[in-house]
Amino acid sequence: MFPLGSLRIICSPRAARHPPWTRKHGASLPNAATLSPSMAASFHSNNPPWHNGVNFREFGKVEFYYTKTVFSSKSCCTSQIKPHCWNCKRLLEKTSTFFCKSCQAIQPPEEGTTYFKIMDCDYTFTLDTHKLQTRYLQLQRSLHPDNFSQKSVKEQGFSEHQSALVNKAYTTLLKPLSRGLYMLELEGVPLEEGTDSHADSDFLLELMEVNEALDEAQTPEEASKIGQCMKGKLADLTEQIDAALHKGELHAARALLTKMKYYTNIEEKVKEKLSGFMSNI
Amino acid sequence: MAGAVAKKCLSPLALLSRRLSAPELVFKSCYHQKVVDHYENPRNVGSMDKNSKNVGTGLVGAPACGDVMKLQIEVDDQGKIVDAKFKTFGCGSAIASSSLATEWVKGKTLDEALNIKNTDIAKELSLPPVKLHCSMLAEDAIKAALADYRLKQHDSQKKAGRVGN
Repeated sequence: MFPLGSLRIICSPRAARHPPWTRKHGASLPNAATLSPSMAASFHSNNPPWHNGVNFREFGKVEFYYTKTVFSSKSCCTSQIKPHCWNCKRLLEKTSTFFCKSCQAIQPPEEGTTYFKIMDCDYTFTLDTHKLQTRYLQLQRSLHPDNFSQKSVKEQGFSEHQSALVNKAYTTLLKPLSRGLYMLELEGVPLEEGTDSHADSDFLLELMEVNEALDEAQTPEEASKIGQCMKGKLADLTEQIDAALHKGELHAARALLTKMKYYTNIEEKVKEKLSGFMSNI
Repeated sequence: MAGAVAKKCLSPLALLSRRLSAPELVFKSCYHQKVVDHYENPRNVGSMDKNSKNVGTGLVGAPACGDVMKLQIEVDDQGKIVDAKFKTFGCGSAIASSSLATEWVKGKTLDEALNIKNTDIAKELSLPPVKLHCSMLAEDAIKAALADYRLKQHDSQKKAGRVGN
C-alpha cells in the first residue's frame, strides 16, 4: 500500500505530525513542497509547528486523507468486514478492537471510530488529560511498530497505522482548542474557512490592541503580563465552551472557539517573545 | 530511456529523503520570492487616525488561522486614494498580501480599488492553495476600509444636510 520508505518513518515523532499519506499525496502534484502542511505551518510565524499541532486548516486536510487511506487499506487488505479478526476470522470483542482476543493479532483501525473512542475518553470538552496521557502511553506500549519487527508485513502495517492514529488522537484531544474544534467537526459544524465577515469589530479591535501592545513590549514583565491576561481569558472561554457544548449550542461554541483560536495565537506569540528575551540575555 | 524511468520512479523518494535530512533548506525555497520580499520589507506599515474623516479603516480576521489585519486608506477630495497603511498580525502570506494590497490601492479611485480581487493578489504572490485565504483576507480588508470610508462620508453629508436645513 505504501512505499516501504514511508512506512519506516511513520513511527517517528516527525512522521506523526506529517503522516506519509499526505506527503505521498503531495508528491504526486507538481509543487508538492508548497502544498505540504509542514511547510505552511512552519512559515506561520505564530505557530511553532510541532507544539500547536499544525495549522487547523491543514489539520482538516490531514484528516481527510487519513480516512481515505483507512478505507482503501481495508478494501485491499481484508476480505472480512469488521468486527471479525482478519487472521483467525473470529468475532472481535467490542471493547478492545486493537487486538484479537483469541489469536492476539493486531487489527487494522476500526472504521468510523473517533479519537474519543480510541483514547477511551468520555465525549466531553472537559476531559481528564491525566487519564488521556496514561491511556496514550499504554496504547503506544502495545501498538508501537517496534514491537512488530518480527511480525508479518501486514501486521507491521497495521501497527504503524494504529500507532500513528493514536498519536493523532492524543495530540488532538490534549489541547482544549484542537479538542473543541474536533468536537465541532464531529458535530458537523467545522470552523469556517476564509474571513470573519460577521466578526465583532470591538473584538477585532481588542485583538489588534493586544497584538500591538505585545509588539511594543520591551521587557519580559510586560510580555508575561499580556500572557497572564490571555491565560485568564482562555480559562474563561474554556468554561463557556464547555457550557455551550453541554447545552448543544454548537454555533455559540464555534464562535467561542474562534475567539479561543485568536487568543491562543497571541499566547503563542507571548511565548515566542519571552524566549526571545531569554536568548538575548 | 531506462535511466529516465528510474529517475522518475526515484524522484518521490528523493524528495522524501531531502525533506527529512534538510527540511530548512526546502522551506526557504518554498515561498515565492515576492512573498519573502514583502515579508522581510513590508511596505506601508503603520496606522492613521481612524477618526479622521478622510480615512477609512478596515479590520478583518480569519477565524481558521487566527490572523488579524487592519488596512487603512486616506482619500483626497477627488475620491482618489492617496495613502494606505496596514498592520497585520499573522503569517507571512497574510503580511505579504496586505502589504501588496496597500501598494495596489494607492493612486486608485474608490471604485477601482473595489475591483482588486483576491485572485489577483494570490497570482501576483504565487500563493499556494493552503494560503489562499490570506489573499481573501486582504481583499476583505480593502472592502471593509472602503465601506468604512463611504459610511463616514455618508454620515457627514447627512449631518451637513441637517445643518443646511
